[in-house]
Amino acid sequence: MKDDLIFIAQRWDIEFKHAAGETASTFFKAIMQRREILGRLCPKCKRVLLPPRSFCERCFVETSEWVKVGGEGKIQSFTIVYEKFEGLPPPPYAIAYVLLDGASTAMVNFVKGLDLNNLDQAIKKIKIGAKVKVAFKRKREGRITDFWYELV
Amino acid sequence: MKVAIIGVGQTSYGNKKHQSIDELVFEATKKALDDSGLEREEIESVVTAGSDALDGRGISNMVIAGGSGAYLKDEVKVADGGIYGLILGYLRVASGVFDNSLIVSWTKSSEVSTDLVSNLSFEPLYLRSCGLNSITSLALQTSTYIGRADVKDEDAAKVVLKNRENGLKNPLSHPLQKPSIKEINSSRFVSYPLRESYLPPESDGACALVIASKKRAKSLKKNCAWILGLGWVIDEYYAGDLIVETRHGVSLPLLKRSSEMAYKMAGVENPISEIDVAEVSDVTPYHEMMIYEALGFCRDREGKVLIRDGTTKMGGGLPVNPSGGILSSNPIFTSSLVRVAEGALQVMRKAGKRQVKNAKVALAQGFTGMSTQGSCVVILGS
Repeated sequence: MKDDLIFIAQRWDIEFKHAAGETASTFFKAIMQRREILGRLCPKCKRVLLPPRSFCERCFVETSEWVKVGGEGKIQSFTIVYEKFEGLPPPPYAIAYVLLDGASTAMVNFVKGLDLNNLDQAIKKIKIGAKVKVAFKRKREGRITDFWYELV
Repeated sequence: MKVAIIGVGQTSYGNKKHQSIDELVFEATKKALDDSGLEREEIESVVTAGSDALDGRGISNMVIAGGSGAYLKDEVKVADGGIYGLILGYLRVASGVFDNSLIVSWTKSSEVSTDLVSNLSFEPLYLRSCGLNSITSLALQTSTYIGRADVKDEDAAKVVLKNRENGLKNPLSHPLQKPSIKEINSSRFVSYPLRESYLPPESDGACALVIASKKRAKSLKKNCAWILGLGWVIDEYYAGDLIVETRHGVSLPLLKRSSEMAYKMAGVENPISEIDVAEVSDVTPYHEMMIYEALGFCRDREGKVLIRDGTTKMGGGLPVNPSGGILSSNPIFTSSLVRVAEGALQVMRKAGKRQVKNAKVALAQGFTGMSTQGSCVVILGS
């Protein structure tokens, strides 16, 4: 048999209801209700962890308190996506890991408000070390996509 | 207890639409058994390594149990890259509980959107909705590396060309054309700074190894690949935790740690002079250069030097990826076990046209995780 083969098309279409838990729920509610980004402080290594977690995996202790981090930060890494990937937004879009003022770890999200159609122009602005600010959606739903970064 | 690889079996890589998944596993397993000289009945334990999400089958080790020779045997699966199967198999034999083990890993990229599976592999609260998949994650990691190591497009193109030229000499390789430097460097950006030409193909394929205790291996009176050292370690899950430190520190610090573990066990003090050949996970050309640094083949930020001066070409001081690497064939979940298989073929002197002359010590390296959070190093000796 050469090429008259049979393929059986199937889908995995399963709905999940993932529990965010208390820590992530508090983080998402602060974004939704007060436009605030909250990190968790590790009492041992003193790192402010973003995204927030209830424990520090390095020190293996529970984190102790919420810390409000700044609304600005610096890009640590970025990519501009030009390919249409299944499951991902239509291109072009940019994402970056940003170290927000007062946080110890970088958090990834979209970088918006920048023309990405001309790459050469775009990478003059979006680069490692570039300053960004957090911008919030008007109608927030308690999701990570309630906010994004914009170049300052 | 010393353990040796006594048999290697690989399918060719590419689109294997003429075989179902268990048939693919059967082919690699059969080849490994034939190569080892052992009968299926003599195999004491089986380790399988596959991804249920890529396979579209739950508990997929059940589906392939027959093909892996596991009928009535002690079979266990690792839900992780194939090289972890080798590590588990090694530990089972080294413990003295089993005399030998068969390890097999498989991937059928052609049956599924691997991009969608990789996006769905991210945790759903903070990461999955942020435009991430395996390619965009590697692009993020690469942007930090380019920023700190001053690597040029031409360096990346040279890595691609080297590995693709090597791949042309590998009869098992995914069928690909040899690109020119110009074609590589003018290829479109998929996820800046990664061009289409910097990305591996998506391949189907299976790879199997038979490993055995020293006593058994010696009794066979044949060339085998002795496992001299292993190292593996897992990073923090959130890539952003380490990124601030890697921007100012070394590339792939966790790979550095796992290589130190493997070097210590194998007694390797000066990798660049003691290792004859390496098979590493060139998931992008930039990653190959980062890997050189993390493995101590050169100093930090000098991976590009080994590409520029030809050290890692065939005929150079330390050829890397004579098989063509992942840039030539990428059966995703299995690619890391292929590194071990190819390293073993080198020290067994069975690598054919891709054989590195007088290869006595080989290094094989694998990753797992979207941002290379899991790193493994295996040192093999003739």
